[in-house]
This record gives sequence, structure tokens and C-alpha cells, in this order.
Amino acid sequence: MRRTGGAEADGAGRGGVLLYLAIVFAFVFAPIITSMIFSFNSDRFPTVPLGEFTTHWYETAFSRPEVWEAMQNSLIVALTAATLSTALGFATAYTDYRYNFRFKSAYIALALLPPTIPLVIMGLAMLAWLARLGISGTLTGIIIAHTVMAAPFAMAICRLRLSQMDPALEAAAWNLGASQWRAMRSVVVPFCLPAIVSAFCLTAAVSFDEFVVAWFVSGLNKTVPVVILEILQGNVDPQINAIGTFVFLTSMTLVVVAQLLITRRRKA
Amino acid sequence: MRIDGYRYTWRLPLIVWQALFFIGPLMLMVAMSFWLVRNYRMTPDFVFDNWDRMMSRSFFWDAYEVTLVRACVAAVLATLIAFPASYALAFKVSDTVRRWAIFLLVVPFFTSYLVRIYAWQVLLAESGPINAVLGFGGIGPFSMLNSGFGTMVGYMTLVLPLVIILQTTSLAGIDRNLIEAAWNLGASPVRTLFRVIIPAAKVGLIIGAVFAFILSFGDFVSPFYLGGSKPPTLSILIIDTTKSGQQWPLAAVVAIMMIVTLFVVAVAAVGAAYGRRRS
Amino acid sequence: MTHTKFTRRTLLAGTAGVALAAPMINRAWAQDPVEINMLAWYGHAEPDMVEEFEAENNVKFVPKYYAGGDNMLALIAQSPVGTYDVILSDAEFVQQLNAAGYIEPMDSSLFPFDDFWPEYQNFPGHWTGDQLWSVMVRFGLLGVAYNTDALTRDEAMSYNAYWNDKVAGKVGHFDWHLPSLGQMSLLNGNRSPSPYDIDEAAWKAVQEKTLTLKPQVGGYFDYGGTFASLKNGEMLAMAGIGDWITAVLRKDGAPVDSVIPEEGGIQWTESYSIGKGSTKAELVNKFIQYMLSPRGQVRSIQMAAYPGLSPTKSGWKAIQEANPAEAERSGLIEGAEQSPIKLLSENRVFLRDIPRQQSLEDWNDFWSEYKTA
Repeated sequence: MRRTGGAEADGAGRGGVLLYLAIVFAFVFAPIITSMIFSFNSDRFPTVPLGEFTTHWYETAFSRPEVWEAMQNSLIVALTAATLSTALGFATAYTDYRYNFRFKSAYIALALLPPTIPLVIMGLAMLAWLARLGISGTLTGIIIAHTVMAAPFAMAICRLRLSQMDPALEAAAWNLGASQWRAMRSVVVPFCLPAIVSAFCLTAAVSFDEFVVAWFVSGLNKTVPVVILEILQGNVDPQINAIGTFVFLTSMTLVVVAQLLITRRRKA
Repeated sequence: MRIDGYRYTWRLPLIVWQALFFIGPLMLMVAMSFWLVRNYRMTPDFVFDNWDRMMSRSFFWDAYEVTLVRACVAAVLATLIAFPASYALAFKVSDTVRRWAIFLLVVPFFTSYLVRIYAWQVLLAESGPINAVLGFGGIGPFSMLNSGFGTMVGYMTLVLPLVIILQTTSLAGIDRNLIEAAWNLGASPVRTLFRVIIPAAKVGLIIGAVFAFILSFGDFVSPFYLGGSKPPTLSILIIDTTKSGQQWPLAAVVAIMMIVTLFVVAVAAVGAAYGRRRS
Repeated sequence: MTHTKFTRRTLLAGTAGVALAAPMINRAWAQDPVEINMLAWYGHAEPDMVEEFEAENNVKFVPKYYAGGDNMLALIAQSPVGTYDVILSDAEFVQQLNAAGYIEPMDSSLFPFDDFWPEYQNFPGHWTGDQLWSVMVRFGLLGVAYNTDALTRDEAMSYNAYWNDKVAGKVGHFDWHLPSLGQMSLLNGNRSPSPYDIDEAAWKAVQEKTLTLKPQVGGYFDYGGTFASLKNGEMLAMAGIGDWITAVLRKDGAPVDSVIPEEGGIQWTESYSIGKGSTKAELVNKFIQYMLSPRGQVRSIQMAAYPGLSPTKSGWKAIQEANPAEAERSGLIEGAEQSPIKLLSENRVFLRDIPRQQSLEDWNDFWSEYKTA
């Protein structure tokens, strides 16, 4: 039952709402498109009217090994942090969904607290702490920090999906003789899979773009946002736009590929 | 006992991880707020100097008020702006389109927030494209940067994708039978919206608003780059405080006040969202 | 089914392979150069500054760029000893670096102080007695930065230009208290001993004067914001900066300029130190010698990120030969009207410093108050 029934004779209403949707998407993508356009613009400080078309900024940015290293670092950090965050988030969401126990509110609060910490202080606190543990300035340090920060998002998404699951499903599996692990594998996880994938993408995204904490903790092993922040703070340069556009196109490709993989999996 | 193993496999990771990598740094920071700075180096101590100093400054409370108000506005604005879009995605488009739309909304996360804000600086400038277009229509030019308006644009850029995703997921998951039932009982679409859909999507709507509030409350990029630090928010204050001889302990005081505020808001909201559900 | 899996796997493997191999391809030609970790303002480890030295000595500079002296201090404080080999800092922060034990003592005989103009040989804060801690390498002047379409040069020759009606609501501040408040202090006539050495009464007067500027202020900006807002005309005047920003913008065609006003200008100074615990002190010394040589000074003067002035006589000669237009523009000609030496000796330029009779916190607190006013 896809369409929502007879009351939807108002084509104008539907058109209006879809137009609104288009406008909202335009707002969301306007800065991205602008950045792409200016990455090919010759002016160092972009204004209108545009200068000439050039690939100079791309050449400059990508002739630097630091930028490639940063890309590599960003990828490693984002994928690892996403895996850890999603696992952690799902475990926490499931615990919240399934169990009641003493201090449960404190438990949930603990899970949701990280995004409430202002990034600047999170950055410093992480740096000080990780330094004491001897891992500041390493990718491991950034991965840990990002996992802490991104896990709540994973938890929220998984929890949302779990709240839409009929508890009778799991119970039915148990009644049919499945162990809890089996039920988890065969019932809960498949049901939550869209949420798990969403959570993975989102946490990877959170990590990929995170620059404040990464800047504190990364030391000399920089991620891409840190490189961008340094350029922006130190000396405004359209290299930012070039790097940003490249990252954007790469992500778009990844997203499309992921989407295709999921669709195909369903059919197969 | 097999049950225990299962239960704790799911329950413990969070506790262990947070204790090691979240509580630890947090406690360190609370302790830091009682430290002193001697010779531009922090030295462990236990004094209330930093607290006295920051709490007695009027610019702290000014910044606090501004940050709180702006974040509330951002939360409400984001929820309102996102809702028609989420409604469209949940009810007016096919599954495939919705899935694509949500994936598209994740994409901005893969682009640098900084780069996007920088792009807005260009777009909103008095000599920028938006004013140029308005100029053709004979209006403007408007000074959109270095103002509350600019900051709001920045906040929306930060939170809208997330809010839309949360709202859409929530709305799309509503049992269609409930809506059918409402129609069958003769309720108009508007009535259905307010009496059935919104209450059923309460969780997603509130969580979305809370995230919008929290992200805006702690953000310094938008008020700094699009708002001209005029007036400064608490996050900007933290950075400013650290610019005076390594005063991290003072900054920690501001941070703790922010955390307490956000915690209260988050707990209240989660309570409102999940209340009356068997959990 | 098999075909699909193959395609999928290949696609993923291919993408991953390219992504990870890219840096290797770029670095295939390098043969393990020695890495020197540098902590500096943006631009100091970029090719236009270091590529010659890197090629000649088989080293590679790995930069960590900071935004502000306090950022710098925080980074060092939380990093293991010996993380940074060479530190470029604003001169007034050298005292703090030293007090906190972050830098190594230096051997003054290694550096061409004879080549320095006498005014810069014994730079305050860089020496304790005869012990050298930091070597001055470049400097610049702060004054009134303004949009030439909005104000005339005559109008800009005084800090009172910030209160001019023509720029109402379009006066920006570089978001750091030290340079802006120094300018306010100069406006109030605090010239001797220094705009930064003022008693309580004078400090109060500076605060009051500053607060009267609030209605004119359009915003507080970092580097990026300063560049952007002057370029796109959002701001028509900017307090707390000077040629180091406007020169770069002018090159790009923006109608901006800086002047040293009649009340006086402020000099910023940058210097190199050796990080405590560094194992590459020898190379760092060599690098500093290079930067102070005529070749290095020419590069420093024309640094792409932001230009600077030279403290060495041979540097001045070198730029006069290499780029006479630039030498003329910056006044790096002996006896020139706007030569920094002349300005300094005529007491028209004052060294930027941390406040002497108040604490940095006091000045910073006021800055926050000013912003929320």
C-alpha cells in the first residue's frame, strides 16, 4: 500500500509540496554547487562576475603529497570510526530497546552525552587525555575521538528503527526454538539493516567532515578537513574549493555505488 | 549462563568505551577548571578562581543568552522548514525516490561544512550573486552577512539535512493503517496531520529538533564566519578565552556550563519523546 | 550472479587501490629526505618558501599551522617534548615560550647579526643577558587598512578614520585584541614608552575610546574572513592589520591599501626558535641561516601567503636587485620616506608587545566585553 489513499486528489497540493522539496534541496546544495563552480574560477577571492575557467587550483592542491596523505588518512579514519560507531550504536540501541535495568536512564544519558560537549573543549580534553595514554597525534587517536562523537548518531538511528519493530517478531523466533543469537542474526539485524547502513554512512560522514577535534588530536597526521581549516584560517585560497569538490564527487560516487549495491542485494 | 553472555555483550561495550574515552577526558576537563595557569603552563590545583571570574563577567551571561536564544530559534526553524519536505518524502514520493533523497541528504555530510559556509559568504555578500539577482528585480541590495540572518543560514546548512533525515525516517515508518483509519472516519488531511501523523512521529520530530538545538548551540563556525562574531556565542567565547595566555581552565568553566545546559535540554527532550512507550 | 560479484569486487578494489597508491606515486621520486617538523603561521612551509632549501639539503618540512600565538602555546603544551623542531612565533610570544621551557638556547655566533640593521640586533625578549633564544627573521607594519574607493589616503592618515561616517557599520576588526587595542592606545596618544605600557588611567581611557567605536563595527574576523570581507566590500576599513593583508589583496586587484597614520604604526615581528628536545638543531640552524641569507630574505619578503620586511642589510640590497618595484613599495631602500628603519627611529612605529601593566587576561576580557557590548 504505497499511496496514501483517496484524499490525495489535490494534485496542486502535491505539486506545491514537491516544489517546496525542490527548493529545500536547492538550499542544501547551493553552497556545494557554488564551491564547485569557484573551484574552476581563476579569481583568488571569488566574487561575481566570474573570472576565467582554470584547473590551476586542482593542479596546485593535488600536486602536494600532503593533500593525498590527508585523503588517505581521512578515509582510514572515517571507515574505521564508522564501523566502530555503528557497532557500538547498534549494541546500545538494542540494549535500550530490549532491556530494563537499574540505572538505565544513566546508561542512555551516557550514550547520548557526547554531542552535547562543545567541539573545542572536546578537542582539548581528548588531546590531553590521549596524550596521557600516549596516542595523541596518531590516527588511532582520531579514530577513537570520532567514534565517541559519532556513536550517538548511530544509536539514534538504530533506536528509531528498532522502535518500529514489532517485539512479537523476536519473541516469535524464540518460541520457534531459535537462540537469542540466532534470532538476532535472522530477525533483528535484517530488519534493522537499512538503519545500520544509514548509521554507517552517517557516522563515516560525521568523521569525514569533522575538523575541530581532528585538528587538536591529529598533530602532524592530518585529515582532509584539518588541511582545509588550515588553508581557510591561514590564507584563503580556492584550493579549498578544489579539494572540497573532489571530496564531494568522490562521496557522491561512493553513495551511488552503495545505493546500487543495496538495491542489487535486495533483488539477488 | 547463556543469557548473561548475550545480555552483556550488548550492554557492556558502551560502558567500557565511554568510561575509557569519554568519561576520562570529561573528568580531566572538570578537574582542569580548578587548575591554575602559572608561567603560561597549566598546573594542577584546586581553586575556585576560574569559576568566580567567569560567573561574574557580564559578557559571559550575555553570550549565554544569545547562544540559548539563537539555538532555540534554529531548532524551531529547522523543524518547521524541514517538515513539509519530510512530509513530501514520506508520503508523496515512491520508495525509490525517498531512498535516493535520503542518500542525497547524507552527501552534504561528506562535503566540508567549512567549505559550504565559505561558499555562503560568497553567495550572501552585498556584491554577491543573490543580491545581483534581486537587483534585477529592483530590490536590495541586502546586507545579509555579519548578522543574525547570516548565522541562521549557517545553522540551517548545518542541521537541515540531519533533521530532514530524522523526520522522514520517522514519518515513513508510521503505520499506514492509522492514517487510513483516520480518513475512513472522515478526518480531513489537515486534521489527520495534526491528530494522527504528528503525534505518531513525535519521536523523530523531537529528536530532530534536539539535534538541531545541540548542534547550533555548540557551533562556532556559523556565528563566526557568517555572523561576524556579532554578538559572540559561547563557543566563540571559549576560543577567545584561550587566546589569553593559555587559559584553558577558564574555558573549561564555560564548557561545563554549556554541557550542563545541553544535558538538561537533551534529557528533557528524550523524556518527552520516549515517554509513554513501553521500554 | 558470478559476473555481478566480480564487477562489484573489482570496482571496490580498484577504487581503494587508486586512493591508497596516489601518495606513493607522488613520492616515488623522493629518496627519504630528513623530516623537519615546523610549527608556524600558514605559508611558512609552502614551496615558495622552502623548496630551494629542501632540494639543497634533502629535507622535507612537515608543517603544523596554527592560528594565533595562544593556539601555538596550546599545541606545544600538549605535545610530547621534541615534537616540533623549528618554531616560528610572533616575537612577543618568545618570552612565553621561554618561560614555559619550550625552546632550546641558541648559539648567537651562528647568525649574521652584523648584517642586521642595528635597530633589530638586540630584539627585546629574544635574549636573556647574552643568551639567545630566538632569531628575528621578518616583520611588518600595521596601520589603517581601508578601501580606496571609500576613503581617501588623507582621510586614512588617522585612526579617527574608523569613526568616519562613510564607513559606518563597515569597520571590521582582525579578531585579536593585541593589534586593535594597540591602535586605540596610539590614538589616545600613548606613545612613550609604548602603547602597550600604560597605567590604569590610560587603560581605562583606551577601553572607553574603543567602546565608542562599537556602532561602526561590522564584525570580527580571522585571516580568511579578513581577506574575504575586504575583497568583497563587506568591510570598507579594517582595524588591527596592515600591508601583510592589503598587499596580497591588491595583487588580486582589490581596491584596498594600508597607511601608517600620523598617530603611529605598530610593528609585528616573527622569529624562529628551536623546539625543546629537537634532535635536528643543526639542520634548523642551517635553515635559519638560509632564511637570513639574501636568497632567503628575498623569498621571505615575497612570501605568497603574506609579505614581510627584511631585518638584514643584505636582504634590502637583494630585493632592490631582484624586484625593485617591491623594494620601492615596501620602503626597503635606505633613506626612503617610508623605510621601516626611518619610521622606527622617528618614533612613528612601535613594537607590538604584550601589555606591560595589565595582564593578557585583562585585555582579553575587555575584548570579549567589547564584542558583546
